[in-house]
Amino acid sequence: MSDPMVFSILLGILLLLLAAGVWVAVALIIMAFVAIAAFSNAPEGLVLATTLWGHSYSWQLAALPLFIFMGEILLRSRLSEDMFSGLAPWLGRLPGRLLHVNILGCAIFAAVSGSSAATAATIGRMSVPELKRRGYPEKLILGTLAGSATLGLLIPPSIILIVYGVATEQSIARLFVAGILPGIMLVLLFAGYVAFVAWRNPADIPDDGMRYTFMEKLRASRRLIPVLLLIGGVIGSIYTGVASPTDAAALGVLLATVLAALSGNFGTKAFMEALMSATKTSAMIAFILLGAAFLSISMGFTGIPRNLAAWIATFELSPYALLAVLTVFFVILGCFLDGISVVVLTTSIILPMVEAAGIDPLWFGIYLVLVVEMSQITPPVGFNLFVIQGLTGVNILRVAMAALPFFFLLLFGALIITVFPEIVTYLPNAMGN
Amino acid sequence: MRRILDTLYKLAGAIAALSILGICLVVSTQVMLNIVARIGGPGWSYTLPSYADFSGFFLATATFMALAYTLRAGGHIRVNLLVGALPKRPRWLLELLTLAIGAMMAGYATYYAALLLDESYRYGDMSTGIIAIPLWIPQISMVAGLGLLTVAFVDTLVEALIARAPVLVDEGAE
Repeated sequence: MSDPMVFSILLGILLLLLAAGVWVAVALIIMAFVAIAAFSNAPEGLVLATTLWGHSYSWQLAALPLFIFMGEILLRSRLSEDMFSGLAPWLGRLPGRLLHVNILGCAIFAAVSGSSAATAATIGRMSVPELKRRGYPEKLILGTLAGSATLGLLIPPSIILIVYGVATEQSIARLFVAGILPGIMLVLLFAGYVAFVAWRNPADIPDDGMRYTFMEKLRASRRLIPVLLLIGGVIGSIYTGVASPTDAAALGVLLATVLAALSGNFGTKAFMEALMSATKTSAMIAFILLGAAFLSISMGFTGIPRNLAAWIATFELSPYALLAVLTVFFVILGCFLDGISVVVLTTSIILPMVEAAGIDPLWFGIYLVLVVEMSQITPPVGFNLFVIQGLTGVNILRVAMAALPFFFLLLFGALIITVFPEIVTYLPNAMGN
Repeated sequence: MRRILDTLYKLAGAIAALSILGICLVVSTQVMLNIVARIGGPGWSYTLPSYADFSGFFLATATFMALAYTLRAGGHIRVNLLVGALPKRPRWLLELLTLAIGAMMAGYATYYAALLLDESYRYGDMSTGIIAIPLWIPQISMVAGLGLLTVAFVDTLVEALIARAPVLVDEGAE
């Protein structure tokens, strides 16, 4: 049987299983099992067992439960309540005023949580009612929230970058550092868009007439400062190489617990909730990663990714053309699959093709996350849309319409890092080894 | 029976949670020691022997022991877009089918994981760190976790059969 044929059959099996509601990790394992059993001579059971074991205890992956845990702790602290009151005084004078609280609040929270749905839920819960009460247009409230919450995937520490790093054996520290500038760039793009809209329609943006002195601003945000220091410490220690991501994560958990306890309302019960929630999320992601590892190895046995790469090479596409094709493919895939699944499928099947085209896998990781971010706000399966629908009761399609400008801003962001790859690679190269 | 199984899932979940705390403890202790070494100079340099190995084995335990617990809590993700649009009866049948597929996969993995454990035990495979641990010890968590996942799939399948409707409620997890 020819390779494209075999590949189509395998992909068909996967899609069928997924559509039937089989758990993603299970579906990956079955697809890999069929690939080995039917199209290679390797002993599938033994390969499965050694892969499950061999990929379950890596030091790099140990950062995953810890960062999730850190986010769960801060999620249950007073942080989210303090975010609005702490940021609002600083942003009231910008064109677009308090809409920027959504953007900056999401960016800060993204840095502690690493998940975009959690970011949308936490920031939205307090900012949407406040902004509505003050008379901001609904479309911009929902749009900024949906769009900015996707930053959770990119701004370090990012769960999805850990997944990419583990699956592709890239340094997680370098991936985290690579995400910093593109993250800041997106924040500026979003803020610039809001400022532009506000400048075009000044009447839409209510002015509460509040003016603050510098000391008043500092006082209002005094409870945010420890959190900012925590984030700065975690990212800074990774950047300077003082600590590996796993080290930084463990320390982050300790400090987050202390911070949450000091801020009040965080007792043993909240700590246990955070721990059990982190246990579940991390098991879910690790299970998918194990399934993806088995898929990668089985694909290696069948030789499909290599041949697929050779086949694509015959078209002599430029890297730009290949990226354009892949972007369309990912956006469509992302409409139906969650981000982590898109990433693991990519790394097990498409990465050889990408590397063969001469694309830097570190850069590609950031690009992939950007494209996955877009898929968070496209219907029908955009997690942020669901979260915001659940939060506000606004129909998911209306949320999607409100988020549409931000979809194009993300696309524009992907274009910028393609034309100027240094935005991604400058910091990791500067940090040395 | 219901109570025993639920206790079992919870117990395994608790072991997983403790393992995550274990990673925290081991890694942050080592970080503290690193800080001491940085301040005090080379004479103050201490390393927890094989701390990366131990964190890894805690991680494996955390993952495998939490599989069943997470399944029962609806924490494993799947695409329920199409399934959710189906009428009640086909939806139930499809749920039974997916649970059966899950049970088969988990049972198969458990069997081969147990073979691997047996092999590690008989050949005396050791971890490569300063403190060499017989590999079969941490591998117990893999076999136990996958075994319990199989039980959880079968358990849920039986429950869904009796209830004549899907019983798992998926979390809105990402």
